[in-house]
Amino acid sequence: MAEIRIFGIRHHGPGSARSLRAALDGFTPDCLLIEGPPEAEPLLPLAADPGMSPPVALLVYRPDRPRSCAFFPCAGFSPEWVALRHGLAAGIPVRFIDLPQAVRLADGFPPGPRPPEAAAADAAAEPAIERPDPAAAMRRDPLGELAQAAGHADGERWWDALVESRGGEAGDVFGAIAEAMTALREAEPEGAEPEDAAREAQMRAGIRRAARDGFARIAVVCGGWHVPALLRHDARGQAAADTAILKGLPKAKVAAAWAPWSYPRLAASSGYRAGVLSPEWYDTLWNHEGRVAARWLARAAALLRAADLDASPASVIEATRLAEALAGFRGRAQPALEDLDEAALATLCFADPAPMALIRRKLVIGERLGATLPRSAGTPVEVDFEAQCRRLRLKPGAEAGEITLDLRKETDLARSRFLNRLRLLDIPWGTPRHARGRGTFREAWALAWQPDWVVELVAASADGGTVAEAAAERVRAKARGATWMAELAALIGTLLDADLAAASGDVIRALDARAAVSADVFDLMEALPPLAELARYGSVRASDTAPVLALVRGLLPRAAAGLVAACQSLDDAAAAAAKTRIVAVSGAVALQEDPDLTSVSRDALRALADQEHVHGRVVGRAVRLLHEGGALTDAEASDHLRRALSRATGALAAAAWIEGFLEDSGTTLIHGRGLLALIDSWLCGLSQETFAELLPLVRRTFATLAPAERRVIGEALARPEGAGAGDGLPGATFDAARAERVLPILRLLLGPEPAAWEKTSEATA
Amino acid sequence: MSPTDTSATARLRLAAEEAFAEEIAALCAADDRPRPPNWRMSPQAVVTYLMGGSLPSGAAISPKYIGDRRLMEIAVATLATDRALLLLGVPGTAKSWVSEHLAAAICGTSRLTVQGTAGTSEEAIRYGWNYALLLAKGPSRDAVVASPVMRAMERGQIARVEELTRIPSETQDSFITILSEKTLPIPELNDEVPARKGFNLIATANNRDRGVNELSSALKRRFNTVVLPPPDTIEAEIAIVESRVAALGRAFEIPAQPPGADEIRRVVTIFRELREGVTADGKAKVKQPSGTLSTAEAISVVGNGLALAAHFGDGRLAVRDLVSGIGGAVVKDPVQDAIVWREYLETVVKERPDWSDFYRAAREIG
Repeated sequence: MAEIRIFGIRHHGPGSARSLRAALDGFTPDCLLIEGPPEAEPLLPLAADPGMSPPVALLVYRPDRPRSCAFFPCAGFSPEWVALRHGLAAGIPVRFIDLPQAVRLADGFPPGPRPPEAAAADAAAEPAIERPDPAAAMRRDPLGELAQAAGHADGERWWDALVESRGGEAGDVFGAIAEAMTALREAEPEGAEPEDAAREAQMRAGIRRAARDGFARIAVVCGGWHVPALLRHDARGQAAADTAILKGLPKAKVAAAWAPWSYPRLAASSGYRAGVLSPEWYDTLWNHEGRVAARWLARAAALLRAADLDASPASVIEATRLAEALAGFRGRAQPALEDLDEAALATLCFADPAPMALIRRKLVIGERLGATLPRSAGTPVEVDFEAQCRRLRLKPGAEAGEITLDLRKETDLARSRFLNRLRLLDIPWGTPRHARGRGTFREAWALAWQPDWVVELVAASADGGTVAEAAAERVRAKARGATWMAELAALIGTLLDADLAAASGDVIRALDARAAVSADVFDLMEALPPLAELARYGSVRASDTAPVLALVRGLLPRAAAGLVAACQSLDDAAAAAAKTRIVAVSGAVALQEDPDLTSVSRDALRALADQEHVHGRVVGRAVRLLHEGGALTDAEASDHLRRALSRATGALAAAAWIEGFLEDSGTTLIHGRGLLALIDSWLCGLSQETFAELLPLVRRTFATLAPAERRVIGEALARPEGAGAGDGLPGATFDAARAERVLPILRLLLGPEPAAWEKTSEATA
Repeated sequence: MSPTDTSATARLRLAAEEAFAEEIAALCAADDRPRPPNWRMSPQAVVTYLMGGSLPSGAAISPKYIGDRRLMEIAVATLATDRALLLLGVPGTAKSWVSEHLAAAICGTSRLTVQGTAGTSEEAIRYGWNYALLLAKGPSRDAVVASPVMRAMERGQIARVEELTRIPSETQDSFITILSEKTLPIPELNDEVPARKGFNLIATANNRDRGVNELSSALKRRFNTVVLPPPDTIEAEIAIVESRVAALGRAFEIPAQPPGADEIRRVVTIFRELREGVTADGKAKVKQPSGTLSTAEAISVVGNGLALAAHFGDGRLAVRDLVSGIGGAVVKDPVQDAIVWREYLETVVKERPDWSDFYRAAREIG
């Protein structure tokens, strides 16, 4: 008959891990059964490799739907990890006996009336299932609950005290835990949790199978909560009952992989429900048996000194004394985290909470990031990701940092593309620090890696074999789902940044197709400026922008054709929006310096300027754009102005017109004298009554200009030569020979790409 | 009672060790834990004295500090490890009160006190001279006039320094030798006064005007710092006001009925809302006046109201008796604070149906 011992542990408890290590050394089992997903068994030998550095997590996911997944994090101080390493070192079989994730991740599990999203969320949070009732708290951290009942704030400390005070044979502790859990679970109704019932049935079956396989000394490591249920493994009739529970459970296909994990993710504050409050503190407890207080406080002082705060060794001594006094005071053999925390606050930080936040982040929660073996990466996208990271010398790390890329350099350009592709895969590893400024070759990124993005990498495998393919496919899917052309235009921008030429072709075709059938001129106009910007400046990143330019050439005439019709019957807010779009598109057209496009745009504006019943704000702006662009002479513009502000128009419409005509015109009025002269001569030509009538309207519009602008305009008008003294600087003529001289410098600034600057210089010349 | 009566009953205010002599005696008698040298009771008993509790003998210990027990544990543990204690807090958070009771419980006297002011000199901290004796007999120990700190060192007791940051920086420096060497040199006599075991120092400082004479880092390093926060919850604050008002009523022999819980709740609510700048339900913002509006001021407002009710009213605390006191506590700056108070009355008080009596009274007076 096999000897079977069941060790109830506390997940991620260093005290638990320590007594488990001692117990396993004493028991020398020939088979080790651990509460864990059996699908991960083929991966277990990797845990013995020195290249695996906890915290790491076992990831079990559905390849057909990688977002349905479960993580099983392990820190160096997690009892499961300690048991696993013990088993691998001793060369004995290690089996994971929990209910397969194939079942737990399957649709329709657990059986019973539970909303599907709750089931999905729970699956990720092994082993805790959170409910806001006391029974749930009990299940989550039964030892913690017992500790609180005994008047201890910290279950881990209570556990340590329990272990230490008992001394002697560690097995006694596990017996005591079994007893305590039995008492806690007595009140629980049978089958209250169908998922737990199935898991415990499966674990009992696993124990019986190990016994049948002829092992003589079987150690079972499971959460303390399950101990009473597992003790019944050989009860009469239990085997049949378990078979009945496990019969007919749904199943899905799953895959498993190791993934690096981090202490912040292990912390309960990160939302991980089986998490612990203080991973780094537990790490210290696990790695250093004695003198923990002095070590921890010395590290705190070093941390403060690194942050340029005073923390002398003398203060560390005093803090240690205070911590030990507080511990003695509270009846503890050695200081707990709360004692150290309070001692550090009173002595090292002079009761200032700000440095304490630093200590809590670095020394209570910690920032340690685990590492897995490169070959343990499972899916093709993960493999590609790791290869790219190596090639581009980017290292996923918890430490946030900032990099500046020079896009003229091959590697930096590749890095920028890689980060952009990852963003398309919902992995915002890098966040661009500045708004897109294509005039510059520098691009700054803030990097901060989150270990659970591994899930996104796995999920990306559904869309393609490499990061690039998956990103392209994601964009195609988004393009298919996009309802607005503006969305599609933004997608094209990201595609060029990520250098996904194939997908950008698809998106451009989608955009073109949508433009052909779309009746919404304003949507079209909103898509135009970003596209025009891309077409003009995209070559900076060595992307091929010819298709984008073609697209702009196709879209603008469509927008121009529908403009007048779209501008009918606008209310004030819609008119303001329409005006903004018209201005943006005009700017975009000016950027292209393409005579065809310019004439298309001019014709449309001219048609708009002649409209009688369109909102004044739009018409007024159209007239000004035409005047600024040289399409209307001063006299013509003046005619428009007079007509729009004649007495028959009505004050409201006139006010809107003059607002459209003059808003945001401060700089133009100051530097381009034409407009100012126009207004000036118009005002001076008004009859006295009309002037009195119109004055409030003009004042109202001028009031929107900045005071400094108003002052400069007033000064210009007050000068003897008056407002109409001519355009620009007197005698300013363009000297091509002198202008040529700056070109070498411009070439340096703008980069070696000849097309980009030569186009500019031709236009300038 | 004759005018020269100096017995305890005639004194305006009793020191902590006199007012709570019975509790201290009971605690000492019941205490079987180890005591640090020269302490009258164990650290645990000191915490019990401060936080209240009951003894096996049945004697009840009244709570002196209503708030976080952990803070008192840190304070007592600090003193037990012969580190000096610095209590920080905004005015009216019971810093001096805690300091007095700590000293009373630990060494039986809270009177070895230096009141820190801008004019506090080194003599007040170290020692002065009896000049008549000095001239007559020359320098000798007899001619030395000991400061409270020096006496505490000689006897192994707790010295208290009130308002440490109001003392000029160069005078503050005198504490550095005392705290690090635990001795007070008298270079004129080539002598020194070594501190006996049990000597320690409790300083209080106001961290609202911390910058008056900010402690040097050398001095700061010699203190463990504990910040006493304003009361966490309205219930805690009401409990503080109730207990202190009752005690004051006894001390001043005010022949009024104890105030109703509702009135105290109202005063405390107003104080908390103005102090925190937000109404109790968290729904509306309130302008904050320039004063601190501490719990201590709330106590004095209620006490003042009681006195008004007793001597000029019918002995029952009425709304009118409170209103003028509250207005006076809030309006410290006659222009800005008056606006704040008026706005509070109109936007918050007026909207509360069961506060209409208060609103009317405030309108009449204001």
